[in-house]
Amino acid sequence: MLQNKLSFHQSSVSLEITGLPDLSNNEYKDQISIISEWKLNIIDKPLIEGRIEHLGPIIDAFYIYSNLLVTNNIPLYESKLIDIKAENIHMHNIVLKSSKSDVKPLTIKIGNSLLSDIVNCFDQLNESSKVKIKKSDTFDNIHKKVKSPLKNKVRYIEYFMPPFISICSLILLSYTVIYFYSPLENKEKNELISPK
Amino acid sequence: MPNKITIWKLRNNNPLRKSHINNDIKLEEFDALIKITVEMSKYLYPYIRQILKSKEEPQKNSVIWNDFYKRFTELIKERFNINSIRVKKLLNQSDNYEIIIKSLLMLSLCISNEGYKKLKYFLFYS
Repeated sequence: MLQNKLSFHQSSVSLEITGLPDLSNNEYKDQISIISEWKLNIIDKPLIEGRIEHLGPIIDAFYIYSNLLVTNNIPLYESKLIDIKAENIHMHNIVLKSSKSDVKPLTIKIGNSLLSDIVNCFDQLNESSKVKIKKSDTFDNIHKKVKSPLKNKVRYIEYFMPPFISICSLILLSYTVIYFYSPLENKEKNELISPK
Repeated sequence: MPNKITIWKLRNNNPLRKSHINNDIKLEEFDALIKITVEMSKYLYPYIRQILKSKEEPQKNSVIWNDFYKRFTELIKERFNINSIRVKKLLNQSDNYEIIIKSLLMLSLCISNEGYKKLKYFLFYS
C-alpha cells in the first residue's frame, strides 16, 4: 500500500508527514493516523527528521518555548531531546540531541521569523483533519485555559485589552501604509503637475 | 460587529487614546476584536515577518524597521494622549523596543485558524 504524504508550509519552513490511514477504523484513504516519518525542512538550515515518538516532544518544546517568550517568562526549554534557549530578544539557539550516543548534538540558530514559521507549521498540523495524531498537550491546554479565566478577568480585560488591540492595530496599519506609500511616485506626480 | 462604526466606537475604549470614551465592552465584542486582530495578522503575516527578520540582520534590512518604527511613533503621537505616562513609555525608544518586538511576535504566532484562542491566552498570561 502506498504511503500518504502531507506537507504544511509557512514561508521558509515546511513540515512533511508520511504515513498510512487506519482503514480498520473506517478512515479515508488520504488520511494519516499511523505516522512512519516526519521531516521539518527549514531553508538554509539542516534537515530535522525523526521517528513518531520524537514529533510530539519537539512540537511541545516549540509551543512551551514560544509561550515563555511571549508571556515574559525566562525563555528557556530543556529536555532529553531538545533544548531551546534565547540568545537575545531576536535570536534563539536550538540544540537537538540524538538518542544514539555516537551522534553529536545538532545546534541550529533561528530568529523570531523562523520561530513563528515553525510554530505556524505545527499549528497547521494540529488543526489538520487529515492527520490524526495525539494532539499536543500544550496546544490543548492553551484552548482549555483560555475559557476559564475569561469571566473572572473581564474587568482586567476591559482595562488592558483596548490599549493592546490599538497598539496591534497601529503596528498593522503603519506597516500597511508604508507598504503602499511610494514617495518617489508622489514626487514624479508633483513634477508632472507643476513642471518647473 | 454589526458595522464599522461599532468597531470605531470600541476602539475608543482604549484609555490611551485622545478620544477615549468608556463604553462597557462586552465579552462578545472583546472576542470579535481578537478575531479581527488575528485575521489582520494573517493577511499581514509576510510584512510582520519581514519586520521581525529585519532586526535579526540589522546591517541588511534596517530600512524596513526604521520605516515601520517611524510610522508607528507617528501614529501614536497623532492618536494617543501623549501626556499619559504609559504613552510616553511607548514613545521612549529605550522602553518601547521590547514591547514592539513582543507584540509583533505575538501576532505572528497567532495566525492559524484557531489563533484567536492563542492570542487570548497570550493576553491573559503576559
